[in-house]
Amino acid sequence: MAFRGGDWHGLSPSAALPCTNSGRYSTYRTRTHNICMVSDFFYPNMGGVESHIYQLSQCLIERGHKVIIVTHAYGNRKGIRYLTNGLKVYYLPLKVMYNQSTATTLFHSLPLLRYIFVRERVTIIHSHSSFSAMAHDALFHAKTMGLQTVFTDHSLFGFADVSSVLTNKLLTVSLCDTNHIICVSYTSKENTVLRAALNPEIVSVIPNAVDPTDFTPDPFRRPDSVMTIVVVSRLVYRKGTDLLSGIIPELCHKYPDLNFIIGGEGPKRIILEEVRERYQLHDRVRLLGALEHKDVRNVLVQGHIFLNTSLTEAFCMAIVEAASCGLQVVSTRVGGIPEVLPENLIILCEPSVKSLCEGLEKAISQLKSGTLPAPESIHNVVKTFYTWRNVAERTEKVYDRVAGEAVLPMDRRLDRLISHCGPVTGYIFALLAVFNFLFLIFLRWVTPDSIIDVAIDASGPKGAWTHRYSYSKKRGQNNEISKTR
Amino acid sequence: MEEEQSFLDICGGSLTLQRRYYSPSCREFCLSSPPLSLRSLTAVTCTVWLAAYGFFTLCENSMILSAAIFITLLGLLGYLHFVKIDQEALLIIDSLGIQMTSSYASGKESTTFIEMDKVKDIVINEAIYMQKVIYYLCILLKDPVEPHGISQVVPVFQSAKPRLDCLIEVYRSCQEILAHQKATSTSP
Repeated sequence: MAFRGGDWHGLSPSAALPCTNSGRYSTYRTRTHNICMVSDFFYPNMGGVESHIYQLSQCLIERGHKVIIVTHAYGNRKGIRYLTNGLKVYYLPLKVMYNQSTATTLFHSLPLLRYIFVRERVTIIHSHSSFSAMAHDALFHAKTMGLQTVFTDHSLFGFADVSSVLTNKLLTVSLCDTNHIICVSYTSKENTVLRAALNPEIVSVIPNAVDPTDFTPDPFRRPDSVMTIVVVSRLVYRKGTDLLSGIIPELCHKYPDLNFIIGGEGPKRIILEEVRERYQLHDRVRLLGALEHKDVRNVLVQGHIFLNTSLTEAFCMAIVEAASCGLQVVSTRVGGIPEVLPENLIILCEPSVKSLCEGLEKAISQLKSGTLPAPESIHNVVKTFYTWRNVAERTEKVYDRVAGEAVLPMDRRLDRLISHCGPVTGYIFALLAVFNFLFLIFLRWVTPDSIIDVAIDASGPKGAWTHRYSYSKKRGQNNEISKTR
Repeated sequence: MEEEQSFLDICGGSLTLQRRYYSPSCREFCLSSPPLSLRSLTAVTCTVWLAAYGFFTLCENSMILSAAIFITLLGLLGYLHFVKIDQEALLIIDSLGIQMTSSYASGKESTTFIEMDKVKDIVINEAIYMQKVIYYLCILLKDPVEPHGISQVVPVFQSAKPRLDCLIEVYRSCQEILAHQKATSTSP
């Protein structure tokens, strides 16, 4: 289970606290990397992958690495931007095809990506999300250029329908010669290994994290006279909204002092509205509609119990956020959810109305008898579980390992593609890899690497920004010391 | 005082940077690219004429040959007069302003002048240009309505596109003058 995984216990509590100045310098002892995060999904688009990339990059910069992010242009946000701590983001002018994912021809992005990899002296390419075409393109080009590659998978897939068969095949091709793969939970690792026919040894599990300071409990916000169950999820089939519509009337009938607050929007909202109409529950079931991420906490703290009815989930961030706000969590036992929280903080049920009702009743009886732990103590336990600094530390270990590995040379890569991806696909992609290599040679002939200016580092060991920052900080500290004297 | 230094542009071609220091408050930077080489001129002319000759053997119409001659002549004139910039100069005078001159191969010159009280700063910026990511020097203009805002960004050395080392040289000198200007304008 993730929260009991090897690295957790080795961590002293101070490592999870914000890095002090002394910690800042001790982190330089490990070798530093020049990392390029590639994904179609980044801010201003909102979502889990976006915040994952941002938070991970910030923590890696804090640990002394150089990090840049490459994504596609969002509207008029194109070109090069700097975020906090000199995190550089390239918004490349590539065409968006579907659902914020770029169109791919496997070739057209090579000139720009090569130029960026060369000018930033990137050593490790870290791609995110299997839905992102740009991430796969970058992996393909990086392997052609002989750079180390890491891939993070953020989602679970099926095996049965046509679209997943096709995407799984592409994932096999893309990952068969990638150095290392990171999954967010053990269930997700199992899924990815099966889908892409991988060697499990090159797949690591590093869970997501939450910012515990964003999700603090506030027991005075919730009324003690009534019990409140909170649901925050998109109202879609995958999140089990149909189960929710079965639970609401049953429990409302049984407990007259029970209220529901439901945050989120989606095509299944109509079902919940029907239920509300039919059983006359307008005063007890509140539908809030779409929530912004910053409002989630204010909704969570109004409740006593958090209900999650997902039918599939790689790593459920919502239940960690809810537990961090001090709520008792009731959830379905699907995907990676059982790994996320220890048993005393979560009640797991089968994904059926009956089982979920039993679980909720158990939570309600605990709440009435007052045996639930206090929100503050739940928060203090949960906040040590999933921190971004820990995620960055573990990701760094993956980078260290990958940096020591050799990248497959062209002939072995072609062998791997042909032997690993089936006769037809293997030969097609081996041919494409050869074309890509020839294209790269052509580009190197047109603009040799020596012509490309090395970009000025904003972050990293020789970073222009971080140096000044640490310098001024040190000076500030000295001033403080002299003042106390 | 005059200094001359050679640099590369972003495509690997050579550039010459001439710096003329007229006085502590007035400097000129002149970037000249090599003139049109006889070799490339011959190559282009030969390809056009060979292609025309190929068409001529196919359809045996002598109009094609004369058209090819006209096209090369007009193309060359147009190229020299509107496209090929031989020299770009940046003249910066402390109390007056910044003047940018680009001289075409035909001798045509176009000049832009920016008053010093409109100039907010001179910076080096990065941009995605064609299939490249390049550094370029630009002048930031003050927004007349909002004193801290920027109304316009004027790129300098647009056709020469020198590499970063050259830009840094020019940038440093310009900053010296801007600092001098700020010091003198606030002191009295």
